[in-house]
Amino acid sequence: MKSGTFPGGLCLSVQTAGVSMSFEAVPPSRQVTIPLQQHVGSPCGAAVKKGAEVKIGDILGESSGPDTAAVHATVSGKVTEVVKKFPDMHGGASPAVVIESDGQNAVGEFSMEGSDPLTLIEQAGIVDLDREPVPLHTKLVAAKEKRVNTLVVSGVDVEPHMTNRSALLAERASDVASGMEIMGGILGAKVCIGVSEDASGAVSSICAAAGSANVVTLKPKYPQSLKELLVKAVVGKEIPSSGVPEDVGVTVVSVETALAVARAVNEKKPLLERFVTVAGSAVGNPRNVLVKIGTLIQDVLEFCGVSSVSKGKVIIGGPLMGVAISSTDIPVTKETTGIYVQEKGEVTDFPSGVCVKCGLCVQVCPLGLMPFLISGFSESGSYAMAEKEDILTCNECGCCAYVCPVLIPMVQWIKLGKSEIRAQRSSE
Amino acid sequence: MKTPELVVSAIPHIHSGNSIRKIMINIMIALAPAVLIGVYFFGMDTIRVIAIAVGSAIGWELLLQKIMGRPVAINNLTGAAGGLILAMILPPTAPWWMICIGTLIMILLGKEIYGGLGNNPFNGVLIAWVVLQMSYPDQMMYWLAPPGDFMTESPPLEVLKTEGVQAVSEYFSTGGLLMGNTTGFIGEVSSLMLLIGGAYLLIKKVIPWQIPAGFLAGIILFSGIFWLANPQEYANPFFHLLAGGAMIAAFFIATDMTSSPVTPKGMLIFGLLCGVMTVVIRQWGAWDDGAYYAVFLISVLTPLLDKIKPKVYGR
Ligand code: SF4
Ligand code: SF4
Repeated sequence: MKSGTFPGGLCLSVQTAGVSMSFEAVPPSRQVTIPLQQHVGSPCGAAVKKGAEVKIGDILGESSGPDTAAVHATVSGKVTEVVKKFPDMHGGASPAVVIESDGQNAVGEFSMEGSDPLTLIEQAGIVDLDREPVPLHTKLVAAKEKRVNTLVVSGVDVEPHMTNRSALLAERASDVASGMEIMGGILGAKVCIGVSEDASGAVSSICAAAGSANVVTLKPKYPQSLKELLVKAVVGKEIPSSGVPEDVGVTVVSVETALAVARAVNEKKPLLERFVTVAGSAVGNPRNVLVKIGTLIQDVLEFCGVSSVSKGKVIIGGPLMGVAISSTDIPVTKETTGIYVQEKGEVTDFPSGVCVKCGLCVQVCPLGLMPFLISGFSESGSYAMAEKEDILTCNECGCCAYVCPVLIPMVQWIKLGKSEIRAQRSSE
Repeated sequence: MKTPELVVSAIPHIHSGNSIRKIMINIMIALAPAVLIGVYFFGMDTIRVIAIAVGSAIGWELLLQKIMGRPVAINNLTGAAGGLILAMILPPTAPWWMICIGTLIMILLGKEIYGGLGNNPFNGVLIAWVVLQMSYPDQMMYWLAPPGDFMTESPPLEVLKTEGVQAVSEYFSTGGLLMGNTTGFIGEVSSLMLLIGGAYLLIKKVIPWQIPAGFLAGIILFSGIFWLANPQEYANPFFHLLAGGAMIAAFFIATDMTSSPVTPKGMLIFGLLCGVMTVVIRQWGAWDDGAYYAVFLISVLTPLLDKIKPKVYGR
């Protein structure tokens, strides 16, 4: 069978041999900080007070509606503080619960009840573990209402250097398949999973485990993981501009989500941990680790042997779309897909020049945009023109800026333009 | 672990490492085969012309950027590469003063007067070439014969224009045209060497394939039609491909980033039009070789061709 793909994009050959795929567990920190908002929506109300004793799996923040997802304790110990505003990686802040671990790792009585998969998913606090961490129950309910007919599971690694999805498929294919089946059952939809063809272990194990689900192999090109391109490659339909996959009868979730669903429904366990890839020039041997939510990035890096990154960069996510953080004192959350650490020498400076109209950015834009044009319009404040050139379609994959020979920070300008246009719209 | 100073900046956090300087270095490397055979054919004259062209181009650039108060950017090597390309399309006899005038025009009208690299509507090398061709036609057609036996001392396209198809097939073998055993501009004579350089640029992805592919296809298709209709009157497509400036124009001149279109489709059409125009000028125009004029004329259409955009996802 021929592998699916898309026009444009980047073929970055990244050495994955020698990358540890076995998800060693990072020992929980002595103190964990668990934000009460790790999802798109609004924060949960705190269910515990300062001084409370908690065990693993106890509820810290209750889900109270479709735009929240429950949050659970990931260590046992004492709540030392409920912070009103704890900084998150996007530069915002959300309330958070700080727990001093007693080192016992005592497991509480999970209060997850019932047998209805949707309810269990809600109780487990699962979000779609992808670029937009939407509460999963909300997503599934909406998809059901829209009568989607296909569930597309993204088994493609988010970015070059990030290997956690391939590793998960190779290691835990049967759990993933079970989670896929459960979600397919909830939606009454056909299930397809897209896998990168070069992840050989992943392809063979998911093919063996997939059952009735359809395994679609995809060319290893960036940014295949983005939902627009995944839907196109797997079901052959384009999401209409400023639309959602549900508009074409498709819902997209990630492999990690399927795994969490299997655990929630089969074992009645909440979402407590995240499978994280740690890579980058400052990391000797890239590896995949299992991290309890709330563990500080700093502790994860220390576990992986990264001692000092002075004047370097720590990125939550991958090297192309990840968010650079100013301090490693923030916790791993449900949103954390990977950690990419650059040494001082690898940090690229962008002393940008004048566009020479080489057309490279046009060539690589996977969505058929004219990056230099929309970025230029944004830079000069001509937002209406930028909008006419479909700036809002841009998904900020960074391919354009990656190839630009004069280092124009196009994504930065495009982001600015998009937010200006959105602000204007909402004020109208 | 202490992490005192972390760098925070916009995405992406990695870059391909591509730069104008690297592109220019690759272009100069790609011209090396043509330069070498030029030295073999025309000896010290080739070295003289190249040295004056490259040296004066860098000098003018430095001077003009200083005068205009711009940051000096000779390090990006656009001046040097431009000088080298211009040298390639001058006769080996070109006098030093003419070369210096050429490079001045190239840098001034091709770049600095519009505010520097990236803002120029025309290809500086071509502006310079056209001005020299118009102003100093005698110097521009003072040929030097490469070593060996020849049936003529005129360049192939001049023979075509003045003596006709019969003479062309008598005087020039395909092998001779490939190697460049003819009179002509220093760097245009050997199609083979230019093809090797062009292939290097394509493999290195320095130039888009659409422009040279369109260019060569345009030449073959358009000249092919006439040749099939009347081979007694019109030269065959391969002659058009190998003679004169077709190769250097297709790979090294039409691919100038700023004056060529930005979209893949636009580039392909641009190339095709250049190819067709080359043949039109050669067959019915006043000039012997149409390749350079064709690129110059078609680049006027670039803003129009830029309107041919790729299909936007979801539209
Ligand atoms: S960041 Fe936007 S404009 Fe740039 S390549 Fe990606 S989708 Fe295209
Ligand atoms: S890649 Fe950079 S220089 Fe080239 S057209 Fe795009 S913005 Fe301009």
